[in-house]
Amino acid sequence: MVEFLPQPLRGDYLSNQTLSPKIIWSATVVSIEGLNVIRSGKLVLENVNLEISKGEFVGIVGPNGGGKTTLLMTILGILQSSKGKIEVFGSNPYPTNFRGEVGWVSQTAANIPTKMRMTVRELITMGTVSRIELWPFSIHSKEKRERIEKAMELTGISHLADKDISRLSGGERQRAVIGRALASDAEVLIFDEPLVNVDRNARNGILKLLDKLCHEQEKTLLLVSHDMAAIRQSAHRVVYLDGGIQYDGHPDNLPDLIDLAGLRGIQHVHQTDDQEEE
Amino acid sequence: MAISEPLVEFLGFFLEPLAPFMPGHTFPAFFELEMFHRALIAAFLVTIVAGFYGSFLLMRNLALMGDGLAHVSFGGVAIGIVLGAAAPLWYALVFSVIAAIMIHELQERELLTGDASIAIFLTGMLALGLVVLRIWGGGITSDIEGYLFGNLLLIDYEDLDLILIVCVLSLGSLFFLHDALLATTIDAVAARVQGLPVRWIGLWFSVTIAAIVVSMVQVIGTLLVTALLVTPAATAQLVGKSYRSCIIWTQVFGISSVILGIYFSSELETGSGSMIALISAIIFGIVLIGRSIYNQKTNNLNP
Repeated sequence: MVEFLPQPLRGDYLSNQTLSPKIIWSATVVSIEGLNVIRSGKLVLENVNLEISKGEFVGIVGPNGGGKTTLLMTILGILQSSKGKIEVFGSNPYPTNFRGEVGWVSQTAANIPTKMRMTVRELITMGTVSRIELWPFSIHSKEKRERIEKAMELTGISHLADKDISRLSGGERQRAVIGRALASDAEVLIFDEPLVNVDRNARNGILKLLDKLCHEQEKTLLLVSHDMAAIRQSAHRVVYLDGGIQYDGHPDNLPDLIDLAGLRGIQHVHQTDDQEEE
Repeated sequence: MAISEPLVEFLGFFLEPLAPFMPGHTFPAFFELEMFHRALIAAFLVTIVAGFYGSFLLMRNLALMGDGLAHVSFGGVAIGIVLGAAAPLWYALVFSVIAAIMIHELQERELLTGDASIAIFLTGMLALGLVVLRIWGGGITSDIEGYLFGNLLLIDYEDLDLILIVCVLSLGSLFFLHDALLATTIDAVAARVQGLPVRWIGLWFSVTIAAIVVSMVQVIGTLLVTALLVTPAATAQLVGKSYRSCIIWTQVFGISSVILGIYFSSELETGSGSMIALISAIIFGIVLIGRSIYNQKTNNLNP
């Protein structure tokens, strides 16, 4: 059975816990080995190895075009890998075959209200739709209503339930979209830049919410963000992605950007300028 | 016997007693004569269905889709007429559904962006219709004008059968797929991750829109379909505060446009389709102005 065990987890956040190997094995949520992904004829991800366990909060950082969104889309089963092995909850995610175990909070989610009028409750209700059901009876199921109320309570927007989403601030809107993902009762939540278009106070509020989801609700979080401070502040583990994984470990040990560029054999722009002057 | 005949008889029973209460000289006839009953029932049926689906077209940024498919259906009508079909709308239905599937696939495979594929089908099929009519059909006759601009009075039982079948099927399927369609419309990726068959829902939506557009052709005309499909839904967005209230407002604006449109067209002896389209645009204008004034006032109160 040893070959099924994951690689030891890097970073020190689990070091004080004494999990038996079996528990660690059963708690693996995402398992990626030697993954290559080609998009529009271009190799975007090369030889990616990643193991994510239940309850982890993983921050994914990297330059634009470094393959962050591609990695998320591959985990979601929307993009197909060209080489390597990917398993989410023990099976290949492509083509997307989840039943609510995974929640997705997209970067464009904040643009929803430009398309339509909708209350917060109506938006969150959409997170509970996972199969074709007879409308309007589906809305009245007690279990669903409870899930919707719980999602609003967790995200702290119960008082806004009947408000039009176009009237919400950026932060409140982002909470509503997170609430929608929570309403599906997802174990894994995947966020693509949830902190854009959000002011400083709201940003801290959302980071607190993510922390709560991870530690109190035992959700597994995957967060793509350009906000390095936020990642350092809240994630257990950070993955630096630039064509492949350049760093995977505790946020405190993340080398600075010059070193990361050096990892790929690229000289930092300022260094080059200095050298030219010399 | 046409399947819509019992429905017309049944509803006629309720419409006739209303005639004495209706204003105008010609308008009450819509409640008295069976031929007008057909027109009235057809107009209400397509307006209700168009209201539900129009909201989704708007939310999916596909307002042009209805227009495009209507032009495609004109090509189908022209070919049907030239081939001597009794009900050329069935030809239009086949053409529109095929075009809807192709537009959907082109978008899905990212071969063409939404607008471009719609524009190509729109102009191509309209041109085909015009050429076919010019060569084999004797040009644009008054019958054909009925399809271009809508003519309620030309609706016979065969046309009403098609309208009834399309309306029942599209409302029936919406009853099952409403939540899934809404979730897909808000965020397709999230819906897919939640386990919904996003691609099939999109295909079903496109095909249903094609059928609805064809059912609307005789009521409002291929050139004016957008007036009933999109305008009431767009007006509702100005006043509604929730999705549910927008759905209700869409029906209110759609049905008012039809009633007022039929009233004015019968009294002023204009085409019914163009009058319905004009009224729906006027309602939109009035609500827009009212909304701006209201916004200005509330902004002044809370600077």
